[in-house]
Amino acid sequence: MIFVTVGNDFRSFDRLLKKMDEIAPFIPSEILIQTGYSRYVPQNTKHVDFISMDIAIEYIRKSELVVSHAGIGTIILCKEYRIPILILPRRKAMEEHMNDHQLEIAQVLEKKESEDIHVLYEENQLKENILRILKEGASDPSQKVAGKTNLIKTIRDFIKTTRS
Amino acid sequence: MKRNRKIGLICSPGGHLVEVLQLIEAFEDASFFFLTYREKATLNRKNTYYVSNFAKNPLSLVMGILKILYLFLKERPGVLFSTGAEIAIPSFYIGKFLFRTKLIYLECSAQVYSPSWTGRWVYPITDLFLVQWEPLLRQYGSRAKYVGGLI
Repeated sequence: MIFVTVGNDFRSFDRLLKKMDEIAPFIPSEILIQTGYSRYVPQNTKHVDFISMDIAIEYIRKSELVVSHAGIGTIILCKEYRIPILILPRRKAMEEHMNDHQLEIAQVLEKKESEDIHVLYEENQLKENILRILKEGASDPSQKVAGKTNLIKTIRDFIKTTRS
Repeated sequence: MKRNRKIGLICSPGGHLVEVLQLIEAFEDASFFFLTYREKATLNRKNTYYVSNFAKNPLSLVMGILKILYLFLKERPGVLFSTGAEIAIPSFYIGKFLFRTKLIYLECSAQVYSPSWTGRWVYPITDLFLVQWEPLLRQYGSRAKYVGGLI
């Protein structure tokens, strides 16, 4: 399945929803869209407005591909479970976000060239990219993230100092 | 030795919560509780207290502050940890000045080049301040630390 998610931001992300709905008949996998506060209602796919974190994790783990706004929660979860993710950043100019931080994140990730993170800036290229990623599948398991281990150690050490 | 006081984990729903959960191992030696916004994405979580989203109206901020006061009186946290967003601001100021709580803040990995609004507010009073991208170090003062990121 393909899980599409736009997170909890109170702004619409209709641009992604409309395009996914439009191309759904040409995609060989079942599509489920988490629509959040978006106004657009998909006609050709299953959809749900909000889900709990546990359910989101369950959907992500079941997916062959996740298509998402550039929200870091989804990006981190896909990385953890090694699910390919295609991100389309929300843009301030289109009133999809309060600022262009999603664009920054997308650009930084594009530079990192992580094999399972795919970045798009134009919704018109969604169909060809989804079909390509489905064909390629996930890459080999990536190395464990050093950042996470270091953060846990640093925080744990600090907490210990507050107790002595 | 002081007795091991509880740890309060404070964050908005979505990516902020995912980041806290990624780091949960760091808190497992102590008992902890969560404080987050009441949203469909956060319902029915264990050890969790809820406030209404501050961004929605000013009254919810007032109610939220009262709830935080009550919660801290009840739980007496020794350490607060937050990844943002603005829910951290009243929690950190109340914790620091009324309960002498130690504060740990991790700037969300969505902040690559510029500080978040919440980060700017809590930086002056935070005891351990971490960022997830190196370029951000220059934007904060010398107390900010970078040891890696989750993305």
